[in-house]
Amino acid sequence: MAEWNAYYRNEDDEEEQEEGEQSGGDYKITGRDSLVFLVDASKEMFIKGEDGQPSNFDMTMQAVRSVYTSKIISSHRDLMALVFYGTEQSKNPRNSFKHVYVYHDLDEPGAKRVQDVDALQGEKGGQLAAETMGSGETSLGDALWCCANLYSDIKLRLSHKRLMIFTCRDEPHGGNSTKDRQARTKASDLKETGVVIDLMHLMKPGGFDVSIFFRDIVSPPEDESELGLQLEPCDKLEDLKKRVRAKEQKKRAMARLNLCLGEGLNVAVGLYATAVTARKPGAIKLYRETNEPVRSKTRTFHTQTGSLLLPSDIKKAQVYGKKQIVMEKDEVDAIKKFDDPGLLLIGFKPMEKLKLHHHVRPAVFLYPEEGEVKGSACLFSALLTKCSERNVFALCRCISRRNYPPRFVALVPQKEEIDEGKVQITPPGFNVIFLPYADDFRTLDPPQFPTASQTQVDKMKEIISKLRFRYRSDAFENPVIQQHYRNLEALALDMMAPEDVEDLIMPKAEQMDHRLGPLAQEFKDLVYPSDYNPETKPAAKRKTADTGGGAEKKPKVEVSEDELRAHVQNGTMGKLTVPVLKEACKQVGVRTTGTKKQELIDALIARLGS
Amino acid sequence: MKSGKRFLSALVLCMDVGFSMSNSGPGEEPPFELAKKVIQKFVQRQVFAETKDELALVLFGTEDTKNPLALDRQYQHITIHRHLMVADFELLEEIENQIHPESQQADWLDALVVCMDLLQKETKGKKYDRLNIALLTDLNAQSSSDHLDVIIENLKRAGITLQFFLPFPVKDDEEGGGNGGRRSPGHPGTGKGLSMEQKDSVDMMKHIMLTLDEEDGLDQIHTFRNAIEQLRMFKGIERRPMAWPCQLTIGSSLSIRIVGFKAVTEEKLKKIWATVDAQTAQKEDVKRETVYCLDDDNETEVQKDDTIQGFLYGSDIVPFSKVDQDQMKYTHDGKCFAVLGFAKENTVRRHQFMGNQVIKIFAARGDEHAGVALSAVIRALDECKMVAIVRYAYDRRSNPQIGAAFPCIKRDYECLMYVQLPFTEDLRQFTFPSLENNKKFTPSETQLSAVDSLIDSMMLVEEDENGEKRDMLKVHHIPNPAFQRHFQCLHHRAVCPGTPLPPMESWLKAALERPEVISERCQAPLEEMKKKFPLTQVEKKKKLKTSAQIFGKDSEVPDAKKAKGDDEEEEEEYNLADIAEGSVTSVGSVNPDRDFCTLIKRKSLPFGEVCQQLTHRIEQLLGNKNTHYYMKSITCIQAFREQSVKQGNAELYNSYLQSLKRSIPNRGLEVFWDLLVQDAITLISKDEVDGSFVSKNEANQFLVAEEKKEETTAPPAEDTGDFDDLLDMM
Repeated sequence: MAEWNAYYRNEDDEEEQEEGEQSGGDYKITGRDSLVFLVDASKEMFIKGEDGQPSNFDMTMQAVRSVYTSKIISSHRDLMALVFYGTEQSKNPRNSFKHVYVYHDLDEPGAKRVQDVDALQGEKGGQLAAETMGSGETSLGDALWCCANLYSDIKLRLSHKRLMIFTCRDEPHGGNSTKDRQARTKASDLKETGVVIDLMHLMKPGGFDVSIFFRDIVSPPEDESELGLQLEPCDKLEDLKKRVRAKEQKKRAMARLNLCLGEGLNVAVGLYATAVTARKPGAIKLYRETNEPVRSKTRTFHTQTGSLLLPSDIKKAQVYGKKQIVMEKDEVDAIKKFDDPGLLLIGFKPMEKLKLHHHVRPAVFLYPEEGEVKGSACLFSALLTKCSERNVFALCRCISRRNYPPRFVALVPQKEEIDEGKVQITPPGFNVIFLPYADDFRTLDPPQFPTASQTQVDKMKEIISKLRFRYRSDAFENPVIQQHYRNLEALALDMMAPEDVEDLIMPKAEQMDHRLGPLAQEFKDLVYPSDYNPETKPAAKRKTADTGGGAEKKPKVEVSEDELRAHVQNGTMGKLTVPVLKEACKQVGVRTTGTKKQELIDALIARLGS
Repeated sequence: MKSGKRFLSALVLCMDVGFSMSNSGPGEEPPFELAKKVIQKFVQRQVFAETKDELALVLFGTEDTKNPLALDRQYQHITIHRHLMVADFELLEEIENQIHPESQQADWLDALVVCMDLLQKETKGKKYDRLNIALLTDLNAQSSSDHLDVIIENLKRAGITLQFFLPFPVKDDEEGGGNGGRRSPGHPGTGKGLSMEQKDSVDMMKHIMLTLDEEDGLDQIHTFRNAIEQLRMFKGIERRPMAWPCQLTIGSSLSIRIVGFKAVTEEKLKKIWATVDAQTAQKEDVKRETVYCLDDDNETEVQKDDTIQGFLYGSDIVPFSKVDQDQMKYTHDGKCFAVLGFAKENTVRRHQFMGNQVIKIFAARGDEHAGVALSAVIRALDECKMVAIVRYAYDRRSNPQIGAAFPCIKRDYECLMYVQLPFTEDLRQFTFPSLENNKKFTPSETQLSAVDSLIDSMMLVEEDENGEKRDMLKVHHIPNPAFQRHFQCLHHRAVCPGTPLPPMESWLKAALERPEVISERCQAPLEEMKKKFPLTQVEKKKKLKTSAQIFGKDSEVPDAKKAKGDDEEEEEEYNLADIAEGSVTSVGSVNPDRDFCTLIKRKSLPFGEVCQQLTHRIEQLLGNKNTHYYMKSITCIQAFREQSVKQGNAELYNSYLQSLKRSIPNRGLEVFWDLLVQDAITLISKDEVDGSFVSKNEANQFLVAEEKKEETTAPPAEDTGDFDDLLDMM
């Protein structure tokens, strides 16, 4: 039974490794990301839009909330702060700044904070803001300084620091050059310590002129193409959320590799995971008395002597063909090593050679790392242009990490796409599609059926066109994860019941029926005979159930111990059925918790084999 | 596909070890060795694939005779080496060590009869799907064709199939050399021609094979070489596809009975490494134990029973018992393949495929009506270039997914292919700088044409003379190299214990490289690329900015700017520390006190120099005339004082503070001085540091007395109390 435990544990390990592969990579990441929302609380921010549009302040709060909740799910270890400037009241750690209101100090976001931000939304939210903070003088310099203090008060190592200014005023100090200067100084101080400052400028009558003041405040855009500053101010919540999200997620390469085109021609590239399956987070163990988290320590020790075993005291083993094969831990790693990490260009193939069903893993994204090898971006760009022009993909061999076996991948060119609001929808680069090996295909024996007639096909086409919709990859929330967090939220905030989660991947049957009208029946009349009911179970299955049913449902099945031994000897245990094996386990006194056949067999072999 | 039923086969390997098997031309491997390799490779595959198939080994041409038919000097020199059972390492070791060329010859037809007898006896009462005999021989022994027809009749009746493995190809003499079906030319043994016995035997063999299977009988006659080549790969672990019966639903009234099969999935090795004790190699000797402890200084251990389950909601810890969790968790109706709607195929992007499998959906087996209905869906989707967006749930316990079902129409079947798609939570919408709008990265025309010719030279798919496209490298035909290497090493360790692991097999290595044609063809274009695209490794040095750059931006920073004038060069060396990165190299402007302490501690710079850097910063801060900057200055002075005391060096601090005090009135820093007085930051006295020239009393008076004096007396003589002087003093 020890083996089974080992089995399950190792399975976990494997999963962890996998995770690591997807998010960690060779590139070492230490420290946490941090994000400060610095929000203008001046009167202008509270002016309602036309036709009952939400005020800029309201929009900002909604955007902040969505970042909070998404961070809680995706990366709750990140630190966030919410600071208002241009307030009447002041509240900051040492109360040394006037008109700066630190609503949330730099910390991990939690349920309380989401509620706090909720309270600031809508009309009531505006009132609450007016009561607690009010609108007053503006000194962006002080506000920035206050934020700088928030950063420096953090004892943790911060890996990425970002500050977003939400405002609709392009001249916050009304032309006061001293204050302007102070703000600039403070902004450059912040930038010097590695804080990236972004401007989320909002709509104001007459347009928002970035060049008057904010040009000097924000960090220069990374690509120097000034794409960042040409942006029109936001006037829609969706746009704002999109912009915030685009900036808020720190791109992090899961690996930095060389793309080797040939001897001495290495392009530095980064691998980015753009889609990673979000899972429900694992449970943590708490001490019953205090609800404080406990740590777990795992020790490996010798069963007989009880002494702790060092890594050098253990080896690894596998059993094949009744023989245990033992290897050193190092050897186990060495077996997996084929070459150093990197991408090796094998050749090019036309796009139609990339088959839809050659899918074994989510794709990753490839982008040049000009900072590692100068000239990479240019060569990469040339390769991208030509591959996309000629409609070919590059076939490469990919070793993503040390001691990882190689996989073949297709580098599929992707051109940059920008929406009307000049926000990037798809970035320029290669999508890396992992290709299957021969072992990854399963042999199927496809059943043969007559094909449908054109009338039948045409009817289905009518159905299809009635139920058309525009698919968007970000339109479906995971109901399992959402429910989990709603539950936690309810418990954390002592709510009576968790908020309802709409299951977005549930078919809207009623609507569908309505839209289809008589079509569904018409189609059925075309393909099914009148006495056919697809809902019933296949007849064959029924029969076995009928004949097998009754009193003699479970015939006693037994094998003698001698027979068992013979089976063990000949390695033919597999021929016995699970009930027989279970019975046999009882017979020879093996206690099993397993239900899988192999587990039962292993247990019996362990007992009878030697 | 009889799903759920076990496919079991029984196989007798029947190998000729007689003396003629050792004959070989100069420089050629004797047939015996080749035949042994075939057997070895085959058994290896069986062992690692962990098939339940059973096999037996019969040798003929042995000195001894060991078979149940050996009576009356019949069936001599035939030995049943191993009875029908699952292959294991024992057998591999025996093949390695116990099978040698021997000096007798035996009739291969006799051997065949022994094998048939063995199969019949040992498979009695059990059910097998396939009975097979593989004969490895050079057909050199004389054999009598007397009972040939009886033998064939028996083979047919028992349903036993036959395979021949020979040192030479047989089709050749019929169809003339260069047979397309056989890959490697020049088999050893063909050169010297066949003996009379061999020719007779070949005829008999052909007769048998063609009688058993008129059309393809001869396809089961192989050469040793080909067999080795085909067997060199370890066979993948074969998994029987599991049928997943379900209903495809469109709305509430339209449903089609379907069945799904995993078609493509990332296969992993089933076995995992167990941990064993290094000495005894017993896994029972190793035990792992997990204990829980509080996060306090004593790491107080806590019983597992005293722990409860909780979750993190951001920073909140929420106790959440398993029972509650199960009660509140998302539940659904189980197994499901429900269409949400239909979308244009091109809106589902290939790179957004999630999960690690592709499921093929067919109509339920034997249900023709379902077949027609599904065919209508598949064809309609195909003609509209649409896909179905579906909700998929494997069963009640598993989480539901969203995915796309693509139509797939093949020559001999139709199906839907289901692939998982992302949830909102899975997506990370990164933006990357544009490559096109950036002039620095825009490739020139000549650069682009260099890439063009590289692509030309490296195209893996080409049209041959018949206008047919040929793919040089089908990666999906390559076996997973990780498995191959894994088994190679395991096998080596099992049969040659105590020796280091072998190098990777050369064919495997070659399979992971560029095809040779390509690497030759791309040489010139690559050289051209190298010339056209200069690539330089960026030296890994942290980018540091000088204070001059920073303060240069703001022309109105008083004093600090002026201070620069003279010692411009020196300034350049004072790099502003990037504290956040933990690499303090000088006293920066953000946290000067912390930097100062760090630098002192690190002792990488002389004490005097660090102090000078600090005072430089203090002067800059004071130049701003703002309370916040004053506070910061004070913490700097405090740090200066503390460190000076620690270092036992009072001189620098004292003289700085004294000169600072003198400059107060001139610079209008009275407010600052008041703060300093409030905090009682004074000179360092003798009591604190031996070398100080200031008494305790003097130190105490330093703040108080001057304060009074200030009110009455005029400012001291040093009216040029600029901090340039202060710096000079140090």
